[in-house]
Amino acid sequence: MDSSPARYDHRRLPSGIEFAAELLPGRHIVSYEIRILSGMVAEPADKLGLAFQVEQTLSKGTAKRTGPELSDAFDAIGALHSTWAGRETLGFRCTCMPDFLDQSIDLAAEMIRTPTFPEDSCRVGIELAQQELTALEDDPGELSRKLMLKHAYGPILGRHAYGERETLARITRADIIDFWKSNFTPRRMQIVIAGPIDPNRLADKFETALAGLAATGSPAPDPRPDFSTGRWHYHKELEQQHIGICWPGVPMTDKTHPVERVMLSLLGDGMSSRLFTEVREKQGLVYWVGAWHEHPRTSGMIHLGASSTPARCEQTYRTLLREVDRLAEDLTEDELNRAKTLIVARSDTHGDMTRARVSELGSDLFYFNRPVRLEEKNAEVLAVTIKDIQKYLADHPRKELCVVTLGPEAAMAGA
Amino acid sequence: MSSFFQQKLANGLTVVVETMPDVSSAAAGFLVRTGARDETSPLAGVSHFLEHMCFKGTPKRPWQQITIDFDNMGSTYNAFTSKEKTFYFGWVRKADFDKQVELLADMMRSVIPPGEFETEKKVILEEIAMSDDQIDRHLYDIAHEKVFAGHPLEWPVLGSTKTVSDLSRDQMHGYFSQRYNPANMILIAAGKVTPDEAVRVAERHCGSWPSAGPRPQRTAPKLNTDGVTVAQMDRFKQQAIAMIMPAPSATHEDDETAEALAAILGGQNSRFYWKIVQAGVAPVAAAYRIDYCDTGIMMLYGFCEPPNCERLAEAIRREIDLVVKDGVKDHELQRVKNRRRTALATEAEAPYHRLMQIAHDVDMVGRPRSVEERLAAVDAVSTDKIRDYVRRWPIDGPHYLVSVGPRKWPTN
Repeated sequence: MDSSPARYDHRRLPSGIEFAAELLPGRHIVSYEIRILSGMVAEPADKLGLAFQVEQTLSKGTAKRTGPELSDAFDAIGALHSTWAGRETLGFRCTCMPDFLDQSIDLAAEMIRTPTFPEDSCRVGIELAQQELTALEDDPGELSRKLMLKHAYGPILGRHAYGERETLARITRADIIDFWKSNFTPRRMQIVIAGPIDPNRLADKFETALAGLAATGSPAPDPRPDFSTGRWHYHKELEQQHIGICWPGVPMTDKTHPVERVMLSLLGDGMSSRLFTEVREKQGLVYWVGAWHEHPRTSGMIHLGASSTPARCEQTYRTLLREVDRLAEDLTEDELNRAKTLIVARSDTHGDMTRARVSELGSDLFYFNRPVRLEEKNAEVLAVTIKDIQKYLADHPRKELCVVTLGPEAAMAGA
Repeated sequence: MSSFFQQKLANGLTVVVETMPDVSSAAAGFLVRTGARDETSPLAGVSHFLEHMCFKGTPKRPWQQITIDFDNMGSTYNAFTSKEKTFYFGWVRKADFDKQVELLADMMRSVIPPGEFETEKKVILEEIAMSDDQIDRHLYDIAHEKVFAGHPLEWPVLGSTKTVSDLSRDQMHGYFSQRYNPANMILIAAGKVTPDEAVRVAERHCGSWPSAGPRPQRTAPKLNTDGVTVAQMDRFKQQAIAMIMPAPSATHEDDETAEALAAILGGQNSRFYWKIVQAGVAPVAAAYRIDYCDTGIMMLYGFCEPPNCERLAEAIRREIDLVVKDGVKDHELQRVKNRRRTALATEAEAPYHRLMQIAHDVDMVGRPRSVEERLAAVDAVSTDKIRDYVRRWPIDGPHYLVSVGPRKWPTN
């Protein structure tokens, strides 16, 4: 982290784009993200996979360049870039040397403003997504996540990027263009940038480069998870059984979110965490075990996950849930302080990376509609007490669970 | 601007420091020059199992205290084992640098607690089971098993269910005593730390380690890069295929040329991407050069729908032929260099990433290399050098073909 205080700039550009910058003097690279507040949640139910298709074909040609020419132009300035398609956002991220920043912004804007979505690229995109669905069958970790999302988040937030075979078959080039036109609008756009920059100049630069996008468009969708309590097993010939457990948590903006964050750190962050200690190190039940939360924009979900050979699956499941309950019973000050230190220290060390800073800033805008100083977040974490954890667990009991298993055996008596 | 320092302690432990004045954190790690290739067949997997056991107890700490002490610092820490090295590391706030080195150094004196041995064995067996569910691991492991047949580089890093199940604590202790020898280890530090400070800390925590003879030697493998192995596995839905040919070692003068060729063929914005992936033949087609201290291989591979095997193999061969016949273009090579330049600048701002790179450099080259030096090596690659490379390291000649998946392909 820089020794000087970070300086933020946050404004709404005349076009409606939300812009935030973190000035990091002395850095040698610049990172930025352009985020569209729309993703899988905006897909028609019969055309799942459409957002991913838009993301994949956006870079395959512009009014000025073919896809390869556009990629070559980014490479000509050494701009490392990628795109993503998520539940509620689509985006572009880029890291480059400061000297090439303006050129990279021009290229990014060209891609966002004037994509041509070539017919061949749209056709191949669908073919590749069908093949990715086959590949997903060979990735038990991602497959079990897909199955969990379907049950725990429901038909809208639980969508998977690749869609389904039958919905992919219905997607046309016209659908891709319609999705782009109706979602890539200034009011749905957030831009964050960090590095040795001049925020005023860059605000103008982005505004000019992205001028011409349709100013119309409806507000970004804001769905809530459609949570289902229950147990589902999916049979698959695997060496291991994958266990996923999920229940509702709190949104990022909830005042108890820092408490939830510390609670999950106690459970699954670091090798001294309870799950790692109890499930792996004391009993040798698993190699991988984890606890984490995920946040749609206005909600939150808690996840526990592990994979073990079938004979150990039931004991693993019981231990996972027992450790959640035990947190309310015997948490110590030392343990709490350790979990808090872990969160704060890692945000300090990782802050040395410009890309990490811009990612944090993007998350701030998405959830809080403003940059949030690291000190503010850390102060909230450091203020969490044992009583806060106990109260959180009492207020959010893990009674209603969504449990999904994937593997060779259905038997799990404890579930 | 960062700077390097290197010094050897009296007991043979090498200390390498990169001072990075622009950052606020520091990373440290112990590189032990031991991995799967240093094992005997019955001990396959011992290096990796031992890495786990180093977290399980020291003369000063029971296992719980090791992880508690890491987490009390808020360290980003872990360890990994490869074919040639085992690396233990932690990334902390600058103020915790001394404590981080002390803890890592303590782990290097593991007592391999007998009471924890069988429990941790179960964890390793779970890791092997997890790995067995990954088609890419099968491809990688079978490729090594065949190409390096008869040499320890053929062992999988995890070992097998049998070798790990059969391994005793005494066997592991013998291996540990031989390999975790100061002459075979390097302490690396990167970040906001001075050479004086790093050496002082190293002397304090490692200076009393007894020296135990010279660094053990390795023997170079003979490669078998002419053959075919089909591993029919109905449990997988895709077919994974790889063509493997010889490539230079990490220390060879063609090192960066090989990397550039792999990037042009099968990296980002590469020929494979536009001609194979974007032609809808396969979702994954890539080139990957694997470098060891005295040998290397080039792996051209892809994952496809089983009926597409022929198309994928033909497409890879077509791109190989084009490179051999026409060479590569200046602008293709320049793109690789430009991307590398930004990637190196990005790496240079994180002590953690620098630590990983220094570990590679000191292990392979024998000394750390600055970002500028690595950039110069990349810049020295030319289209002529690539043309010359494919003559000396043929990619269109005999190769080993590995096919894994539900289809028995090729059939003859």
